[in-house]
Amino acid sequence: MNIIETKNLSKTYRRVVKQEGLGGSIKSLFKREYEEKKAVEGMDFAVREGEFAGLIGPNGAGKTTLIKMLTGIIGPTSGEIEVMGYYPNDLKNEFKRQYAIVMGQKSQLFFELTANDTLRLFKEIYGLEEREFREARAYFTELFGVEKLLDVQVRTLSLGERMKMELMAALLHNPRILFLDEPTIGLDAVASRQIRRFLREINRERGTTILLTSHYMEDIRSLCGRSVVINHGHKIYDGGTEELFEKYQRDRQVTLSFDRAVERLELPGNAVMTEETPYRKVIRIPREESGMLLQKMMKYAPRDVVVEEEEIGRVVERIYGEECGRKLWRDEGHEKI
Amino acid sequence: MKKYKEIARIYIKSQLAWRADVLFNMLFTVAKILFAWLLWGMIFRERNMVAGFTFHGMLSYYIVSSFLSQLEMARGISGEVSARIRNGTFSNYMVMPVSIEWYFAAMEVGVVLFYLSFDLLAAAVWVFVFRIRFVFGRSPEILLCAAVMAVMGLFFMVQLNYFLGILTLKFEDIGTFLMIKDNLVSLVTGTIVPLVLFPESVVRVMRLLPFYYVTYLPSMLFTGRCGEEAVRGLAVLGTWCILMQGMIAVTWRKYRKKYDGVGI
Repeated sequence: MNIIETKNLSKTYRRVVKQEGLGGSIKSLFKREYEEKKAVEGMDFAVREGEFAGLIGPNGAGKTTLIKMLTGIIGPTSGEIEVMGYYPNDLKNEFKRQYAIVMGQKSQLFFELTANDTLRLFKEIYGLEEREFREARAYFTELFGVEKLLDVQVRTLSLGERMKMELMAALLHNPRILFLDEPTIGLDAVASRQIRRFLREINRERGTTILLTSHYMEDIRSLCGRSVVINHGHKIYDGGTEELFEKYQRDRQVTLSFDRAVERLELPGNAVMTEETPYRKVIRIPREESGMLLQKMMKYAPRDVVVEEEEIGRVVERIYGEECGRKLWRDEGHEKI
Repeated sequence: MKKYKEIARIYIKSQLAWRADVLFNMLFTVAKILFAWLLWGMIFRERNMVAGFTFHGMLSYYIVSSFLSQLEMARGISGEVSARIRNGTFSNYMVMPVSIEWYFAAMEVGVVLFYLSFDLLAAAVWVFVFRIRFVFGRSPEILLCAAVMAVMGLFFMVQLNYFLGILTLKFEDIGTFLMIKDNLVSLVTGTIVPLVLFPESVVRVMRLLPFYYVTYLPSMLFTGRCGEEAVRGLAVLGTWCILMQGMIAVTWRKYRKKYDGVGI
């Protein structure tokens, strides 16, 4: 059963444009000029109850706009949208009681108070019974391992600890849907890994539907069975996450560090040097050749080797390029690719 | 209702987090009473009555009116709503199952209750120290009217400031509206020019505005004056509250769609 469904959903923002300089500012005072920016366009999208889906895309792709429409913060310009049977922008309290949203850059916590104080507030706002509240708090306190942090002033917590508290406050009322907008932004590797573990557990144990947007491949890859890739407001991929990575993530980035200056490296044919200093080299190579590259590089005795996945922007560019090509093909009257 | 009680409570707790603020606010209340006692003490050294007030009557009026105006802190609401709309964090309120207006009203109650308790304590100590014979009205009906009017006045200021705050959805910058409101409040409450200097017709018009009933009239009623204006005052202020609620509903419905939640 679909818990989220959109059809041909679009959102266009209107924004002021002004010429540079004082003259431009004065002109804008008398005659304001606007331009329209299509943030989301013709989006058909559905999420099943209990699913853990990821929204991927570079900055300005339309991910956050889509989340804002799904939570009712903004209304669409056109198209259909239904979340748990509601039109989100009606902002009905019964609707808002059934979901939670955590935005990495917009805290819900009271910084000068303790996390417990905010949890108490959320208990009342979501109308939880005392027993229900205590049980939920105990569950999340144990899951997140934050027993000793509940009575500490929030502003003194680390970013990772604060994110755990944000999640705890959001999940206290056992929402049917959890919207997560960049929850691991700014977190170190350890904290990100912990957050990912909690989210997986919440999705599995509580059946909470989770829609996650993230810039980090690792978040999407380790959590989301399904991924939706967005670019320039259009959906350009909707399918299994593993297939996405198999099909489109073609390169690896290999970073080599040396104790001594190495002036020149002999690279295999498809490898490209993207950054170079005498003590550090960054190489991009098709992933099936990364093993061979490492073997070849061993003769230079690197001190450290880091193999990373390709950054999300490049993957999206690749999908976008291929999808545009296919669309062009179809527009020219060809039936199949 | 419980959720709004908890919102008020959390803002009381927020205020208590800053101990220096608590201390300075108490000192400020004490300093004001001390200053008024010295000033009016000098003025009343040579006469027994000023504009119909005795020394203790004047101090009573001063304490009540400065107390009420100190409690009127709703101007922070317009700034907060406006800033949050502009930086996109207004979204935090939109996703909560609460009425946003009532959230801000509850927040104001929390802040006011906090200052009320400390200011009341400081005022009581100084009334006792200076042996001020507090002059209170005698009619329980009028005192009740004054109390209701004071609460309604604070609520009206919450409504007005929330209304001005949400105008950010349309105008982006509400600085001019706030300036107009502040000047109007100062004018109508006689802070810029004493009301007695205005022609009676102008004062009559001013009495149709709500600001006259926010601190000035309740203070007069508490100290046993202007009793004949009590019922009319409640009617005028009540009408303004209903009107303002309508304006908030229309403005929110009309301009909510302009909110784009961008900023941070």
